[in-house]
Amino acid sequence: MNRIAQGLTLVLLGAAALTSTVPTDLYLNWVKAGFGPFLIAAGIVMVGLGVLVIVAEVRGERGALDEEEVTPETAAAANATADASVHGADPVGDHGDGHDDDDGHGHDHARAPRVAWLLLLPVVAVFVVAPPALGSYTVESTGGSSGPPPRDDRGASRFNDALSEAGPGDVVPLGIQEFVMRAWIDDEREMADREIELTGFAVPTEDGDGWYLARLQMACCAADAVVNKVLITDQPAPEADSWWTVRGTWVEPEGDLYDVSEHEFATLQMDEVTNPPDPYE
Amino acid sequence: MSERTTQGSASSGSLGDSLAGGWDDRGDELPPADWGKRPGSRRTGTVWLFALIITAMAFGHAWLSDELTGQAFLAWATIFTAISFQAMPFLVFGVALSAALVAFVPTSVYRRFIPEKASRAVPVAGASGALLPGCECASVPIAGSLIKRGVAPAAALTFLLAAPSINPIVMIATAVAFAGQPEMVLARFVASLLASVVIGWIWVRFGRTDWLRLPSRTHTPGASQWQVFRESMLHDIMHAGGYLVVGALAAATLNVMVPRAWLLAVAEAPIISVLVLALLAILLSICSEADAFVAVSLTDFSPTAKLAFMVIGPIVDLKLIAMQAGVFGWRFVARFAPLCLVVGLLSTFLIGALIL
Repeated sequence: MNRIAQGLTLVLLGAAALTSTVPTDLYLNWVKAGFGPFLIAAGIVMVGLGVLVIVAEVRGERGALDEEEVTPETAAAANATADASVHGADPVGDHGDGHDDDDGHGHDHARAPRVAWLLLLPVVAVFVVAPPALGSYTVESTGGSSGPPPRDDRGASRFNDALSEAGPGDVVPLGIQEFVMRAWIDDEREMADREIELTGFAVPTEDGDGWYLARLQMACCAADAVVNKVLITDQPAPEADSWWTVRGTWVEPEGDLYDVSEHEFATLQMDEVTNPPDPYE
Repeated sequence: MSERTTQGSASSGSLGDSLAGGWDDRGDELPPADWGKRPGSRRTGTVWLFALIITAMAFGHAWLSDELTGQAFLAWATIFTAISFQAMPFLVFGVALSAALVAFVPTSVYRRFIPEKASRAVPVAGASGALLPGCECASVPIAGSLIKRGVAPAAALTFLLAAPSINPIVMIATAVAFAGQPEMVLARFVASLLASVVIGWIWVRFGRTDWLRLPSRTHTPGASQWQVFRESMLHDIMHAGGYLVVGALAAATLNVMVPRAWLLAVAEAPIISVLVLALLAILLSICSEADAFVAVSLTDFSPTAKLAFMVIGPIVDLKLIAMQAGVFGWRFVARFAPLCLVVGLLSTFLIGALIL
């Protein structure tokens, strides 16, 4: 990969980062909203660096660094454990595939390894595929829920959701994650007989008996997404991946909440959501 | 005379050509064999190649985007893009910081702050890992530049392991994820720091310098500090970035292909469950700032198994292995990654037994 190619790759990569953050909200499909400013900054830095490299190369400036493959021993005399017998062994003798491009010709310092071409893959992903947010496929293939969170005994004060503040007759909007959490560990059963509003996407069940209203919870990026879902049986299943706001009540289970495997929701009303703001919660 | 005529006609011909045809003819008029290898024509070729790539992407955007509907493929593409984009800011700023270390901080500064003797430098490096907020993508190039500036490799490697494991952001994320279980935060801190320092000491004792491959850089005379900065940043992004994409590809593939249901089947077995979560941490390659949230969601597993997930993840994973190979070479990774895994697991079992 020569320097012009490196510069152009950086410009494209930066452009991909900027395109998915500034004119569109594509990045919300992949990472937390908090990453937005950092992605913009990284995009600007990459475009800037790419342009600088191209300009310097076109002007015929020599690279500022000359590189030579050596062991760090020559660079760092500080290593006390240097084994004299291995000093001078051929340091470039044992390399795996895929990066022979940067080895061997010591004078050609300006080239990058072939693997750097892969940096174009995220660019292609953004501009051609434009991956959507994870949806019903992920919920289905993840299978059963992960199980209840560890019990703790801080009582109701540990809940920090809209239900804690709502007046007795209000409709309470809850995240599906908050709902599932309460359905699992709220031994005081504060949700019983309250009107609750949940928003999520529809996922068909395996046996066709009812459907799930699901939402993915994300800590950082889509790779760590965790599924939360509630079961709805009193309405016909809508199209998979369509978004709905459902008003209804918690179907209170018998016995210990901890043994419940699926949380059921009785609906009063459901409205299709045309454009959900952030696919994750 | 005849010679003059030929010359005259040739020159008139080339005048007309140059007006009409321009660049194409010059290759014929200046035929030396090495001309094709001159940077000028290579550059033109590269520019054409990128023009082609961009055109292909524009066509792909217009026609292909709506055709790509395979659910599994889209989920894979989402996770791949997510890992790449999540790591990108960390990579860029880690690389900028490491380039700044190379370009602007004189070697004497390191000599003053880091003990000369490698075995004493290792704990210092481990503790200073607690200061730099960032994830593993940032620490690989930084460790590389520390070695180049004369810091003992063992100390730089300890820093490489400790920085993503115990920095303040990771500790806060762990405390938020494991609300009400402060012992988990303590266990993570102690186990990760212990593993990093022990690995550093093992490297002091047994490590061989020819396992590490690093370009040593001599500044071209007359190059300004900014040129050095620009060049080291470009070099590091190209090396670490390419391998980051390799890691993201592997992690996304495994994330989509390995059903979580398989994991739950082994959650009950005491030692195997720890090994399984350690393996999962290696395969999933989740950023160290997010792994606590995933660990807490694996509720069927024992606390020690979750601790293993959080201790192993930041020090060995697919993304990290690929990046280390890019910066230090495969010969290094083949020894370093297994060492990290073994020491990390031992440390997890020890601390898990003591604290959890």
